[in-house]
Amino acid sequence: MRLLTRTLMVAALVTVALARPQGFAALKVVTTTEDLASLAREVGGDKVQVDALAKGYQDPHFVDPKPSFILQVSRADLLIAVGRELEIGWLPPLITSSRNAKIQPGASGYLDASQNVRILEIPSGQITRAMGDVHPSGNPHYWLDPDNGRKIAASIRDKLSEMSPNDKAYFAQRYNDFDQKLAEAQKRWDATMAPFKGTKIVTYHRSWPNFMERFGLDVMGYVEPKPGIPPSPSHTLELIAEMKRLGVKLIVVEPYFDLKTPQAIANQVGGKVLILAPSVGGEKEATDYIHLFDYDVNLLASTLKQLGGK
Amino acid sequence: MDWTIFQFLVAPIVASLIIAGIHAYLGLHVVERGVIFVDLSLAQIASLGAAIAVWYGYEAGAPAIYWMSLAFTLLGAFVFAMIKGQDAHIPQEAIIGISYAVASAAVILTMSKASGEAEHLKDMLVGNILSVQWPEVWLTGAIYLAIGIFHWVFRKRFLEISIDAKAVAARGISVRFWDFLFYASFGLVVTRSVAIAGVLLVFCYLIVPSVGAMLWATRIGPRLAIGWVMGVLVSILGMYFSVVLDLPTGATIVCTFGVALIVMALLRPLVVRRAAQSGVIQAHGAVR
Repeated sequence: MRLLTRTLMVAALVTVALARPQGFAALKVVTTTEDLASLAREVGGDKVQVDALAKGYQDPHFVDPKPSFILQVSRADLLIAVGRELEIGWLPPLITSSRNAKIQPGASGYLDASQNVRILEIPSGQITRAMGDVHPSGNPHYWLDPDNGRKIAASIRDKLSEMSPNDKAYFAQRYNDFDQKLAEAQKRWDATMAPFKGTKIVTYHRSWPNFMERFGLDVMGYVEPKPGIPPSPSHTLELIAEMKRLGVKLIVVEPYFDLKTPQAIANQVGGKVLILAPSVGGEKEATDYIHLFDYDVNLLASTLKQLGGK
Repeated sequence: MDWTIFQFLVAPIVASLIIAGIHAYLGLHVVERGVIFVDLSLAQIASLGAAIAVWYGYEAGAPAIYWMSLAFTLLGAFVFAMIKGQDAHIPQEAIIGISYAVASAAVILTMSKASGEAEHLKDMLVGNILSVQWPEVWLTGAIYLAIGIFHWVFRKRFLEISIDAKAVAARGISVRFWDFLFYASFGLVVTRSVAIAGVLLVFCYLIVPSVGAMLWATRIGPRLAIGWVMGVLVSILGMYFSVVLDLPTGATIVCTFGVALIVMALLRPLVVRRAAQSGVIQAHGAVR
């Protein structure tokens, strides 16, 4: 009998230990991208434990889910997604499989980071098929504008405060620190990019409208004829002709696209292909949200300088 | 090792076992007929149907997309059944290869003209075994059970046509008709499986167990048994490796299939020699 009670007690202890492997303290936050993870760390500090699902060098439209993803989502207190249909191909089944009621869309533990930010390319009025490829909810690559980053951080601050009211002041303080740090960095970036205002460039995918708008660059065309569709000859020829006509020299490419067509176009127009990091972790130096912009802005400015000097 | 993960993997594991069950059987026919790539071809033709439905303006998930891909699958089945009847000296595999290439390219062309959903069409058509949900598992199980019963009822007819179609035709039976039934039911299965598990994985479930079984046995019965055991073991092992090493599940199972086949080939001398000693191999060889 004593043996039985003891066994039961041990079993109960083991169950408790297994059920709560990470301890009670930190809120477990899971984000779909490393950009959101970086912002959540800025605001949450040591009150949160943050993990990102997709790596920064992966195309966030197409992520091959791994078993650990389900486990992470199943244990999350808060799931932060980019939204705007960016993760539509892989996130919804993960959320369902996780059977975690807290983080289902609409529940208190689900945060769509795109709610309060400035979204570009939202079609106005009725969408018709004649308009071609239109994303009904707008361009999902909105985090590449520091002002949007600030708004995402504010959303995260509000959500964390709601989930953990005792730490409200802590999150507010950390947000203010980040806000200041970001504002200083923005002055630096704006100064670096100021000489190139109005420069026309081409990008591969429509990942950069927010970034380019912020720094005053004009995206005059895309290597892809439509998002997700490989380049076609007539589109490529048109693009080359247009680039020659306008004297456009720079093609910005995300790390996960094939460089052959962009390189061929660059050779034709005597320009250059530049791989920028669209996400934290997309390059070694882009270790957090601010370093991401440091990396991209410096690289872009030095490349534009080279091209302009020719 | 964190075992709690497996409670989330029950649906994928059951799905992979269902797929292993029917594909190991169909694979025997496919290998016997020498139409190895017919599944890729039919799956691609089904995708073309779905792509055309999207191009026509149907939203993702609309039933019309499914019916359109089904119609295309049946059309493909019809074409493959007709080709075999021809006496032209064109290998059937060549036609299958051509259909695959043309259908794949036509999907790209259709998507380039389709608005909106193009970017996500790929996800719709090519599934990921890890993301499979219970309702899909049950529906798929029910459909495969129905098709399995159909094949079990007519197993002799299907088998004799797969092994020696000319002899069956000589008896005055319409091989084209039965071929159409075979490719149509096969197309139904493959289209569903690809939507759940993706092209690579479905190809492996179809071909690798029957090839592995051919290494060890000559008769259909033992081959089927070996194929099933192999399919089940590889599914579970692959799932396990995927968890332990945290790798994408589908690709891990595919590579596990490859390794399992190599192991089976290496063990073949042991298995076959022992069988030969007991005289089994000669007896079965005579049956073939």
